[in-house]
Amino acid sequence: MSDTPFLTIRNLHASVAEEELQILKGVDLELKAGEIHAIMGPNGSGKSTLSKVLAGHPGYEVTEGEVHFQGEDILEMEPDERSQAGIFLAFQYPVEIPGVSIANFLRTALQAHSEEELDLFDFQDLLLEKMELLEMDPAFAERPVNDGFSGGEKKRNEILQMACLQPALALMDETDSGLDIDALQIVANGVNKLKEENPEMTVLLITHYQRLLNYIKPDFVHVMFDGRIVESGGPEVALRLEQEGYRDWKEAEAAG
Amino acid sequence: MSEKIIEGVTDALNAEAVTAASQGEPEWLATRRAEAWAVYEDTPMPTTRLEEWRYTDLEEKLDLAALALGSAPAIADDPAAYPAEVREAMDADHEASGHLVMVDGHVVHTDIDDSLAAKGVVLSSLKAAVETHPELVQKWLATEAVPATEGKFPALSAALWTDGIFLYVPRGVRLDLPVRVTRYYAEEGVATFSRALIVAETTSQVSYVDEILGAEMEKQSLVSTTVEVVTQDGAQVQYVAVQRMGKGAFYQSHQRTLAYRDSTLDTLNVNLGASVSRVDLNAQLLGPNANSDMLGLYFGDEDQHFDHNTSQDHVSPHANSDLLYKGALDGKSKAVFRGIIRVHPGAQQTDAYQTNRNLLLSEDAVADSLPNLEIAADDVKCSHGATVGQLSEEELFYLQSRGIPKQIAERLVVMGFLGEVLSRLPLGGVVEKVTRAIDEKLHGPALLD
Ligand SMILES: Nc1ncnc2c1ncn2[C@@H]1O[C@H](COP(=O)(O)OP(=O)(O)O)[C@@H](O)[C@H]1O
Ligand SMILES: [Mg+2]
Repeated sequence: MSDTPFLTIRNLHASVAEEELQILKGVDLELKAGEIHAIMGPNGSGKSTLSKVLAGHPGYEVTEGEVHFQGEDILEMEPDERSQAGIFLAFQYPVEIPGVSIANFLRTALQAHSEEELDLFDFQDLLLEKMELLEMDPAFAERPVNDGFSGGEKKRNEILQMACLQPALALMDETDSGLDIDALQIVANGVNKLKEENPEMTVLLITHYQRLLNYIKPDFVHVMFDGRIVESGGPEVALRLEQEGYRDWKEAEAAG
Repeated sequence: MSEKIIEGVTDALNAEAVTAASQGEPEWLATRRAEAWAVYEDTPMPTTRLEEWRYTDLEEKLDLAALALGSAPAIADDPAAYPAEVREAMDADHEASGHLVMVDGHVVHTDIDDSLAAKGVVLSSLKAAVETHPELVQKWLATEAVPATEGKFPALSAALWTDGIFLYVPRGVRLDLPVRVTRYYAEEGVATFSRALIVAETTSQVSYVDEILGAEMEKQSLVSTTVEVVTQDGAQVQYVAVQRMGKGAFYQSHQRTLAYRDSTLDTLNVNLGASVSRVDLNAQLLGPNANSDMLGLYFGDEDQHFDHNTSQDHVSPHANSDLLYKGALDGKSKAVFRGIIRVHPGAQQTDAYQTNRNLLLSEDAVADSLPNLEIAADDVKCSHGATVGQLSEEELFYLQSRGIPKQIAERLVVMGFLGEVLSRLPLGGVVEKVTRAIDEKLHGPALLD
């Protein structure tokens, strides 16, 4: 792990572009290359919004603050440019793309990431290897992206894409929800394997449950509440949340 | 007595022209033309007051009075003499059982596999078939499928057609490879009337691909085609028309398919070109277990106008029809889809479906969709549905978040949307050609080939 700041989020404010609804109210976060961070927080606290803002979703407007990724200001970059720079978002709710096969989709994505012309056979080898890693049936590659997939299949497909694109920064938004324990283990093993292959990969896990953190061990755990990071610490924070929930913050909020 | 104004009679389209067209033809045909002309004169020009023409104002879109009859000479039957677009289209084709090339209304080439010809398969110009197969042409031309009485354009076509395509497949003969027709229209300021007559006898099988190309036109031309397809008991026919004419053309196609007992008669109409494109398609389900898949795909840009008017007539019980028309519209283009399923009295156990979906790619594009049902039997399964939607921001963001630039992401979504239609009738070569043609219209370079 190096000491150079890899991802720096400072005083990030964001609102829903069309509604002036403020969701992120000053997020501060710093990740160093190779670290694994987890963000936990109650429903509606802004975790998904943070991940989408980092990936460049056009539905949110950054009203204040800054985000630097590997020293570069990314807020003006298009989502595809951010991806090409090495940011990957595993969606909480993956989107269905009817009529576009996983193979075609991933081949197009990989081609966009590459300067040279992608070799079709190399691509097929890569895809098969990664599908095997995630224990997916190769026939899956011909199915339209997420169309008619079960919740678990969608999540696995997210990690397949991540495995193929090999990002420098993986944002994983509730990848564990909707997975049964076997699938969770397969996905977690897949992520750990990628991390082994590329120790510099930085991971930001968003989760509700301690469960995932038994498989993918975070270096740091942050608590998000009402659009801010309200506590940061080591893995023990997750264990405490598991016991106590978000009572303290909720009480404070109720007290005004 | 006041002089009667006959709508649609012009300097070029008139009784003398009908007489001229009949020159040298057998008596029955000359009579049929004359009768058709009489129907034409008696039929008013369709206006937007008619439900079926509500969205296509002929007064605004078609200047009939400005049109001459086509007079371009026939080119030589030599690929070197073909327009480059025709050569390119034919070079890109996969194998075929036979070819027919038509340029500005003239059939300039036909060929058919020797062994098929020996079995009695006929692929020829319609004009030639009048001489070589008079009994078949007399039986089917503008009679049961699209008679003159169908309307103004069918009457005009029956009176003034100059040539066309005749395809005949005898009983039990099956063609492994499609028959390919390549047409090209470049003459400006003219009206051209062509017909296609396809007869598939009992248990025969054939697929037919009609590629309709053309040059950009400064002066409007009317390209009128009438299509009659007959599948006898147990026969299987796939009819595909891919219209990629140049802007400036008014493409008008009136089609009817007759599907008898146990037959399969599938159609695919792809409309990408021309300034105005009006297709009337009527599928007749005339025997038990007749089956018609009716597929349509259109992609509009600039100020293109598409009008699809379809009907599914379930005359016989126990038949199926399934229609899927999908279109994407960019620029200021407009599309209207009007479809009706008619289940006739006694047509029990009909399965009939109708779906029209539109994707608007620009704020100025418009799609109207008017699906309809008319059911006079009680034991049927019918449904219809229509949607008009926009590109989904979530879909585009998802693709972009994987590194795919926006333009290519849009292309993927559009092709995924339209691809469903092509995947239902994946004839060799057609999918690739249509995909490439849509790519060109999307202006976006494909990232992958
Ligand atoms: N596009 C949007 N339009 C309206 N409200 C939104 C939108 N996105 C998020 N929100 C609201 O912002 C809050 C935070 O949502 P989200 O980031 O999804 O929270 P979390 O992932 O922590 O559950 C919620 O109250 C949610 O309803
Ligand atoms: Mg969330």
